[in-house]
Parts: sequence; C-alpha cells; structure tokens
Amino acid sequence: MIERQTLKNLRAQLIFLIIVIIGWQVMSNSGMVNQLTFPSVTSIGHALVRGFTQENMAEYVLYSLSLLIRGLVIGILLAFVFSSFCMISRTVYSIYNMVTSICDLIPGVALIPIAMGWFGIGESVIIFIVVHGVIWPMSRSILGGFSGINRMYVEEGKIFGLKGARLITGVYLPATLGTLISGIRMGWARAWRGLIAIEMIFGTTGSGAGIGWYIFMKRTNLNYAGMFAALIVIILIGIIVEYLVFQVIERKTVVKWGMV
Amino acid sequence: MNHVRLQVERLTKNYRTSPDSADILSNLDLSVPEGEFLCILGPSGCGKTTLVRCIAGLEDYEGTIRVDGNTVTGPGPDRMMVFQDYNQLFPWKTVLKNVQYPMKVNGIRDKQELRSRAEEKLKMVNLQEYADYYPHQLSGGMKQRVAIARGLVMNPGILLMDEPFAALDAMTRNKLQAELRRIKEEENLTVIFITHNIQESIVLGDRIIMMDKGGRIKLDERNTIPKPVSPDSEGYGAMWRLFEDALGDTGAEG
Repeated sequence: MIERQTLKNLRAQLIFLIIVIIGWQVMSNSGMVNQLTFPSVTSIGHALVRGFTQENMAEYVLYSLSLLIRGLVIGILLAFVFSSFCMISRTVYSIYNMVTSICDLIPGVALIPIAMGWFGIGESVIIFIVVHGVIWPMSRSILGGFSGINRMYVEEGKIFGLKGARLITGVYLPATLGTLISGIRMGWARAWRGLIAIEMIFGTTGSGAGIGWYIFMKRTNLNYAGMFAALIVIILIGIIVEYLVFQVIERKTVVKWGMV
Repeated sequence: MNHVRLQVERLTKNYRTSPDSADILSNLDLSVPEGEFLCILGPSGCGKTTLVRCIAGLEDYEGTIRVDGNTVTGPGPDRMMVFQDYNQLFPWKTVLKNVQYPMKVNGIRDKQELRSRAEEKLKMVNLQEYADYYPHQLSGGMKQRVAIARGLVMNPGILLMDEPFAALDAMTRNKLQAELRRIKEEENLTVIFITHNIQESIVLGDRIIMMDKGGRIKLDERNTIPKPVSPDSEGYGAMWRLFEDALGDTGAEG
C-alpha cells in the first residue's frame, strides 16, 4: 500500500519537474525575457557539461567539500567533548547551555570580518566559520538527546558496571543516535550555507577555490547559465548527502533497531 | 540455606522533594538467605520499588545494606535487575549481544566464552533460535525472557525483579512464572521479586512479605505450599485470604 502511494507521489513529482523544465525552456525562448539573465535549459545544460569538462568544476566542488568535512568533523568532535563535560555537573551544563544559546544566535557570515582579523585570509577562517555553524546545533541535539534519554538504559549501564566515558559511549551515544543524526543533518545544512557564503565573500584562499567562488566568477562574467549550473551541482550534492549518506546511516542503525 | 546473602538494617529512604516529605521506607530490617525466592507484595506507593532500587544501589539511603557482607555503595553486576518495561533491552544490540554485554563490560574478551555463556542462558529461557534478532522483533514475553537471561549471565548474588511480568497477558505470565521457578531451582538463585499480584507471589515465592503504605513490613510469611503451586494446591486458599485481607488493611484502594 505504502509503496504504491510512494510511487504515485514520485510520478507526480517527476511530472511537475518536467513541466517546470519545459515551461522554463519555452519562457526563455519566447523573447519575453532577457536570455542573458534567464538562460534556456539547454544552455544551462551546456554550461554544466563545460563546467566539468573544461573548467574543473569537480575540483571546486571537492575543495569545498574538503573544507566542509574538516569543519564538520572538528565541530562534531568539539560538541561531543563539551557536551560530555556537561554530564559531569549541573553547573557546567547550565553554563554551556547558555553559551550554546547565545552563540547559536550569531550567523556565521557575521563573524567573517572578525575571523579574518584573527586568522588572516586562509582556510582557517573558512573552517572556523564551518565549525561555528556546526558546533551549536550539534551541541543542542546532543544535550537534548542526553537529557531526554530513557533513564532505565543509564541505570542498566551502571548496574553492568559502566562509568564515565564508557557509559557515554556504551549507552548515551547509541541510545540517542537518532537525535544525533538529526543534529548532524542540521549542522551539515548550516555549514554548507555558511561555506558558500564565505567563499563568495573572500574568494580563493592560498591553496584553492570552492564552488562559492565559482558562482562568483560566473557573476563577474555575467554568465547566468554557469551560475545556474553551479546551483544544480549544489542541489545534487544535497540530494546525494541526504540519500546516500544520512538515509543509509539511518537504515543501518536506528531503522534496523526499530528506534524510529 | 544458612548463608545470609542480603542484610538490610534500619533502612530509611526519603526523597526529600519537600521539607515535610514523608519517609518512603522507615527503619526497615530484612534478611535474605542464599537461595531464597522472596516475593514482596504491597499497594502502589508502599516503597517496594524503592526498596529494590536501594538494594540495586540506584538510590542513596540511610541505614545499612550488605550483600555477602559488603556494604552497598552503588550499582554493580552482583545485583542484576530485571525491570517491568519491555524496552529494557538495548534496542541497538541483537538478543545475543544484549546478553553478552554485561560480560563484555566486565572484561570478558574471549569470544568462545562470550558465546557459550550467552547461548547457555538463552537456551535456559528457550530463545536460542532468536539470538540474532533485534529486540523490536520480539514479543513482550520474549523480551522479558531475554532480560532474565541477561540478568543471569554474570551469575549475580541476587536477581532483583521489579514486576517483570506485570504488563504481560495472563497466559504468557503463567508460562514465564513456571520457567522462572524452574530456573531458580536449577541455578539455586537468590531472587527478590516485586509484585502486586497475590497469586503470583504464592506461585513463585519461598517467602512472601507484604509492605504497607508507610514503608514497613506488615506480614512476613513462609510459603510452604509445595511447588508447582496451582489454585487447587492445599493451603493456597488460606494463603491467598491471609494476604488479600492484609492488603485491604494497607490503605490500598479497590
């Protein structure tokens, strides 16, 4: 039953997309809009192919992703370390909770000028902003998950003989994995947004340039097809991460364990 | 039956949630010899769960609790606990891994030993074919059986059971009661079993205690009815009447 409904929805969604694409093409070729700022589907397609074959689009993408992954890993690890300290005492918990609430209010982009003053212009600024984007939502979901954990699991862990760090890795982490995955998902989305914004603002670093910079260069050349091509790449990356990373992890863990 | 496994002296527990909060348990004395199956009956709120939680080391308390002469200062695998909640198994581990986990925590690394000891206990509760299932794939009764197997795998001095069968249907409950009694005989377990069901306490217990609302022991009876007990066993009716009347006087509703 569910499968049939899903298939039906999928078909409707696909038809809608096709209509939008056709409509776009017709609109672009109709002469009612400026073809420069409203490029046709075919020219966006060409720009996409050219991007990968002649302009090293893959390198821009990989560079962005490498910064993103480094920032994500650092942010997630720090969030775990700080949140684990919060389990030690209520005082630490309340302080860190406050810090998280305050820092979570600061958009990463607003920190860029300060970060440039601290770190100069380089990868470390980008990583700093990505870490900032990840660490607070991640901390929130860890603290939320840990304080909402079924107390019985913790008591069982203690009866078995677990203490301290072993209690966290043995009970807290697996028991709250669902919440943690949502935290990582949210952190990833924030980091990805922040990353592209910062790449546009200060372009290349000494060692490379990312997809944000690619879009920016296309703007300087008034190459709208190229800008749309980059957007499509960003969408595709989002889809790949959602379906090939997050959903696969969920299927192999919380779904398999019946925890959703 | 002479070695004293559990010695509780002048146990008082007050959660002190407000300045005038009443004691849950007050000056409770209890001694349980090795190999005894003790059932604790009582109305809701009489402190029976608090008592086993204190013995498990999950609560701080005033007074003394000693297990095999050692004062209880915190939880440990010598006092395993089976809860009422079906979801007490770790959902992220298979049945076999759940049963093996207490051994792993306590430093047993040998794969052969982990497997054979866990399988032995699973066989004891008739679930050896379900070793690779995840808990959510099992029925409530099966989950409680796995919890018992897991509780026994460390050969604990005392098995604490807090209404483990209360949420099961009557048929499953009867079956699990019979199995638990059989395992108790095979392993010479010392069990403290909380229940609010008089029938259950007579079927399972070698000794039955009834607590009243003030956290005191109101009745402490030996259950001499030969096992297996059924409602037509000699003495069942008298025993049931004794506790039924006492329960009426404890301030329990209904």
